[in-house]
Amino acid sequence: MSWRRVLGHRFVAVPLALALLVAGWNTYIAFNNGGIIEGEVRDRAGAPVAGATVIFFERNFIYYEERQRATTDAHGVYRFTDMKTHIGQLEARTNDGRKSERRQLRLWFRSQDTEVAPLIVEPPRA
Amino acid sequence: MVVVSFLMLVPFYWVLKTSLTGENIYAYPPHIVPVDPHLFHYVDVWYLIPFPRYLLNSVIVTTMAICGNLLFNTAAGYALTKQFPGRRWVVLLFLSCMLIPFQATIIPAYLITSWLGVLNSYLGIALPLLSTIICIFIFKASFEAVPRSLIDAARVDGLSEWRIIVRIMLPLSKSAIATNVILTFIWSWNAFLWPLIVIRTPEMQTLPLGLARFLSVMEDTTGALFAFVVMVLVPGLTIFLMAQKEFIRGLTTGATKG
Repeated sequence: MSWRRVLGHRFVAVPLALALLVAGWNTYIAFNNGGIIEGEVRDRAGAPVAGATVIFFERNFIYYEERQRATTDAHGVYRFTDMKTHIGQLEARTNDGRKSERRQLRLWFRSQDTEVAPLIVEPPRA
Repeated sequence: MVVVSFLMLVPFYWVLKTSLTGENIYAYPPHIVPVDPHLFHYVDVWYLIPFPRYLLNSVIVTTMAICGNLLFNTAAGYALTKQFPGRRWVVLLFLSCMLIPFQATIIPAYLITSWLGVLNSYLGIALPLLSTIICIFIFKASFEAVPRSLIDAARVDGLSEWRIIVRIMLPLSKSAIATNVILTFIWSWNAFLWPLIVIRTPEMQTLPLGLARFLSVMEDTTGALFAFVVMVLVPGLTIFLMAQKEFIRGLTTGATKG
């Protein structure tokens, strides 16, 4: 039996294809699991907000608790490092009482490097 | 035929759809087409419950059961094709044992497993599945279809009984092997009651037990629950789809020659 025929047999081809898929996916993960989550905080006019605190809440079936905090720089950019989760929520708060809505964050794998769409801070509703 | 197929496939479609949307299954009116589907429930299942561990346990137990079945059923099936004193009684004993449900033998099976000291181990979980009577008869029927002259020729050439099985019988019984593999896979993959009794620690649990534990511990996790169900089903479906031709042929052989 030639090797082509062996490789083409469905009992070999299907597990082999699945193994290749898993290997490819794990290779991709290995190069993209730095645990970095970054993004910007802006106000309603679209201007960057410096000095805002961004809180990451880890959320799963059992618990829901604050995991990390980061502060935005002069360009309104924040950055979390070594984030070892795949699901959570982000919220930005400023010193003058403005805050953003909690943004649901779902990743394809743990510690996935991610750039989040800007969080918009707004004054508290009366 | 189309209507029956449709009716059979609807539950599968509904499970798949709910795993992609997380929609409450009691929602009215129900959405036929998935609304805003995504795969994140699968990611949740992978990380938030020890799914890889459950999967590994199931794979180990199923592999042991399949290997045991192929070894013991082949030997038993071959032996039953021979003429020996009391053969008829052995066949009758096997057939009568098939009438006793497994649930009725749980206590002696547990006591034997405990006496062997393999409770809460992979061997303990796989033990009752290492040989199944119906698969012995499938092998017996398949071996009986092999021409007697072939076996006699092999014996004249000096082959031992085991080599006759390995070199002549098994290559001519691919359908029986596939049927054994699929049936054993389904039975051991879906086994619930026996693992529930012999497993003592969460890290030894198999997928069906993990699913039951997930149901009892978690709430409001419809999407993840259905994703878990799909992840438990997929390996079995894949193996069945790969071997369905041999499986059907094996069952048919068993039905007509047994």
